Amino acid sequence: METEKNITEKQLHKDLLAPVFGFSRRFWIAAGVLSFVLLAAGLGFTWMLIKGLGVTGLNRPVMWGFMITNFVFWVGISHAGVMISSILRLSRAEWRLPLTRAAEVLTLMALFTAALHPIIHSGRPWRTMYWAFPYDFSREIWPNIRSPLIWDVSAIFTYLISSTLFVYIALIPDLAIVRDRASGIFRSIYGALALGWRGTNRQWQLHGIVSVLLAALILPVFVSVHSIVSWDFAAVTSVEGWHSTIFAPYFVAGAIHSGVSAVVVVMALMRWFYGWGKYLRPEHFDAIGKLLIAIALGWFYFFSMEFIFGLYSLEGPEIALRNMQIFQPPWSIFSIVFLLTAFFIPVSLLLFRKVRRNILAMFFLGITVNIGMWFERFLIIVPGLARKTPFTFDWGTYRPSIAEIGIVAGSFGLVFLGLLIFAKIFPLVPISDQKEGQAFKGEIQIGRVKIKTTLQD
Amino acid sequence: MPDDTTPTKTEYSSALAPTHIQPMNKAGKWFWLAIVLLAIVFSMGVGGFIWRWQSGWDDRPAWGYYAATFSFLLSTAQTAPLISAGLRLVAGPWRRPLARPAELFAFVGILNMLWFIPLLKVVPDTQHRRSIWFDSPISFQIWETIALAILISCGLCLLYLASMPDIAAKVSKAPGKQGFPVPLGLSWRGNPHQWRILKLGLVVLGAGYIIFLTFQQTIFASDFGLSLVPGWKDALFPAYHIVSSLQAGTALLTVSLFLLRQWGGLKDYIGLDTFKGLGRLLLVLTLLWFYFWWSSFIVFWYGRRPEEQLLLQLFVSGPIRPLFTLVLILNFVLPFLLLLWSPIRKSIAGPVIVSVFILSGTLLDRIRLFTTAFSVTESGEVIKNLPPTRLPDTADIFILMGGLAGMALTYLVATRLLPVLSYWEITQGKILESEKQFGLRKVRMVAKPD
Repeated sequence: METEKNITEKQLHKDLLAPVFGFSRRFWIAAGVLSFVLLAAGLGFTWMLIKGLGVTGLNRPVMWGFMITNFVFWVGISHAGVMISSILRLSRAEWRLPLTRAAEVLTLMALFTAALHPIIHSGRPWRTMYWAFPYDFSREIWPNIRSPLIWDVSAIFTYLISSTLFVYIALIPDLAIVRDRASGIFRSIYGALALGWRGTNRQWQLHGIVSVLLAALILPVFVSVHSIVSWDFAAVTSVEGWHSTIFAPYFVAGAIHSGVSAVVVVMALMRWFYGWGKYLRPEHFDAIGKLLIAIALGWFYFFSMEFIFGLYSLEGPEIALRNMQIFQPPWSIFSIVFLLTAFFIPVSLLLFRKVRRNILAMFFLGITVNIGMWFERFLIIVPGLARKTPFTFDWGTYRPSIAEIGIVAGSFGLVFLGLLIFAKIFPLVPISDQKEGQAFKGEIQIGRVKIKTTLQD
Repeated sequence: MPDDTTPTKTEYSSALAPTHIQPMNKAGKWFWLAIVLLAIVFSMGVGGFIWRWQSGWDDRPAWGYYAATFSFLLSTAQTAPLISAGLRLVAGPWRRPLARPAELFAFVGILNMLWFIPLLKVVPDTQHRRSIWFDSPISFQIWETIALAILISCGLCLLYLASMPDIAAKVSKAPGKQGFPVPLGLSWRGNPHQWRILKLGLVVLGAGYIIFLTFQQTIFASDFGLSLVPGWKDALFPAYHIVSSLQAGTALLTVSLFLLRQWGGLKDYIGLDTFKGLGRLLLVLTLLWFYFWWSSFIVFWYGRRPEEQLLLQLFVSGPIRPLFTLVLILNFVLPFLLLLWSPIRKSIAGPVIVSVFILSGTLLDRIRLFTTAFSVTESGEVIKNLPPTRLPDTADIFILMGGLAGMALTYLVATRLLPVLSYWEITQGKILESEKQFGLRKVRMVAKPD
């Protein structure tokens, strides 16, 4: 197996800039397939625009369905970037280096996609403009400034802006590398984007300070985003199963769980699609696999607490809800799928080093976790609404329409197409970080083996 | 091959020259004076307990301070080994000097077990209140006792296993340190198989300690807190108790390391790096403390249910408000503002001062939570009236002081039984470190074996 040690700077540039400077057939095929998937969402959305929300499966009392589930899911995925980039940067986990940009871009795409969902869900997107603007403070009519729904918008857009800044700042040295190799109009564009980067000591110093500052400052935003999304539910006392104090950390832990798993999927795809096996090696999958075990255990603790304390008070409506989730099909099937795929299968397999170092296995485990986490959000949102009232004659159910399924499928197409296009324009593996990693790399001989060293200070 | 990265016999012996192990074998007059003073205060605590006992088991509000003391010991001394176990799992290089001082706190578990038994008599069975055991008779007594016993055993096993190479390296044969520990290390020869077993054992016991402590704290917070107050349904409270314990456990460890450094003759071993690492950890845990508290508060605040309003009055905004404000200042405001400032966080004195704030705040927080929970005597679905706030009487003060003195006394005794520092881990750390010239300056590199 080729190791990172053998890579020269020339080779590094050649490998990592190949998608930017060349067009492969694979790129067009992938872009075509993803566009086709995106088209499904387009068709579903257009149908909904023409006919109204009646074409969806939403009906009283379940007025939040697939689109809100998908909104929460993509907000969750968006936690990947900060987890990998910011937290691992602050904790000096060196193995993060090749993954950071992909994780950050996944954050951007996921967040952008998530933000679209409430607008789509409104059924008449243009109306959101005059619902929201000009903001009505004086009469205290809806939208209420104290509503978590308003915090949502603020938190998501703050996160989107800070994540964009985070990606851009980290990208500047790489933009200069691309600029130096581009020609014609592209040279001017990359040059403008590189902001006159020359790689002087002063520039590196400032870049380092800004990166660390942003990494630290983005953390509160990161935590607030999914906490606030969770309070959309937890602040509501009228829906069984929602009014729980644990929702904020439970949602954040779940978001990190699904986000990091999504990064594993993207890593495997990058390795296969671009042939970057030298950069995304089994040791990286091993490290992220270990991280996933810890995250999954933390998340499962919160899940258990949420469940146990749901039943704790032994109130009739709560028991009816849990009974529905666990024993009544199809909810019971969803619950089994959720628990197996989000926790039991991945965690029991990730305990084995061989599994953690097997790219194909990790790819499937990443997908498995996300299937489970999608169902988790669905099981939180829909059953609670279906059993919203204490009167059994007012209970309802939910069956998604083809339009909603199309929109959900299309959202995956949108995120991955976004990643693909980003990788066509900008280097998806941070070249300057790779070079820095090479420069600081060392080995020491202990006993009979050589061990890699990393920078401590 | 984990044994490949362990120190060779020569490297190990040279690192453990008698001059290096000298400090931990010293026990000057100040040490014995501290032992005597702590023993006196601890005896006062025992006296306070007997005094309280004579008033009977049925007066639950009277035992609130006793429960708060137990919770404080559980949150600090019994959480400290977790810090070491957790950092060992993530292989933080700065954690090596704190490993043994943290694990020595496992000894305090024995005291805590004794402290716990009377609480089982004070708290009523779960059949007449909401509980995570759902009407199952005497299950809370059984599970609480088993969980605490397993936790303590796991902590002691972890301590013993991690100490074995040091005991066997004839540490115990240094001047003035012969006797008890020698037979414990006899079987250790440091062969590859033993090193492999040791490392695997440390990972398993470390992970086990984290899991058992989480379980123990969860059921304790639930049975002795939530469950005593009708209508207090807060799924986050056990997790809050754990996070708060992590903060307090780290703080206790920071203070202990400072004392060992200043008066234990370990200046050469416990350096700035360790305090810098602890400062960072304290900042993170301080933020988490606030996040967990806030997440719970905001849901009750927004919920606006009558029972939730009353619960907020009971624990936050009613007569308890001054105490709560103090807790908020000591556990969050001061630590956050101080640790945010890099020169303070990256010093030795800064994290120590912050730790003193945190320990004081946690003690007050436990008093706030458990004396309040114990003071509620009404039963039913939801709480309807605010119980009177209970101020400590002389017995309560004796119990509180006795508990703290007992913890310190047990720890000091433990330092006489086992080596205070994990020399084999420190030695290994030195072997794994190297320097590299980078540009005009040398940088420190560290190897992280699997």
